[in-house]
Amino acid sequence: MRETRLWSLYLLVIPIIFVLLALHFAVMHYSPVFYGMSDEEARNFNTMIERGRSVAQLVLYILLLATSLYHGLYGLRGIIRELPLSAPLAKLTDVGIVLFGLFIFFFGAYVTWWTFSFKIGG
Amino acid sequence: MNSKSYPNRLGIKGWVYAGRYSFERYLYLAHRLSGLGLVAYLVLHVLETGNRMRGEAAWAGLMALFASPPFKVIEYLLFAAAVFHAMNGVRLLLTELGFFLGKPSEPIYPYSTSIKRHRPLTYLIMALAGLIMALGGSSLFLP
Repeated sequence: MRETRLWSLYLLVIPIIFVLLALHFAVMHYSPVFYGMSDEEARNFNTMIERGRSVAQLVLYILLLATSLYHGLYGLRGIIRELPLSAPLAKLTDVGIVLFGLFIFFFGAYVTWWTFSFKIGG
Repeated sequence: MNSKSYPNRLGIKGWVYAGRYSFERYLYLAHRLSGLGLVAYLVLHVLETGNRMRGEAAWAGLMALFASPPFKVIEYLLFAAAVFHAMNGVRLLLTELGFFLGKPSEPIYPYSTSIKRHRPLTYLIMALAGLIMALGGSSLFLP
């Protein structure tokens, strides 16, 4: 049952990633097409900070981070667990992937929070 | 998941080749490879965005590096991998949920398998992925 829940969540996060990643691509990589802004402008430090200070950006980026990390690392776990691993090694893989995922998530969330609370000129 | 019940005797070799593979099997392999590449990129990307905390100069230096031609190519490969992975993922989701597989029928020669019935959709989705990759490439590389 636990595996079914994890698998279902792996599928359920796909539409969220799809929408948020499309937004991310539009803002960061296709700004000349969608925003009439050059790539240089879109990636400028002040523009990036200005964008990051909105609550919507804070929430959406942390959501994208959580969903994409879950989807990616669950997929990686599935690939590794297909190998003929001993039970302790399989357990170690699970624990290692969870800890690694948490580390990357908290680091990414902290960077997003840092940008959100950045005081321009301060 | 239970390696005791279903031993994977071929190990990694079996992921690449274990017999006469069909088109879908190569898509499976490409899906894995693109997925692994995207996970690796995601982790690097999160770590790299932390560079902004070192200030404007550090950020500008990093962005200048990313604007160089080799990184443009890498950026495009990343985009292509994301498009392929997403489009093939849509196909896998449809298969997983039982769409476009047809109804079960008597096994009378010449056999009509669910994979064969599904194949036109596979070609359509891959053609669409190719189109998106071409459009994405044109807006990245053309002036």
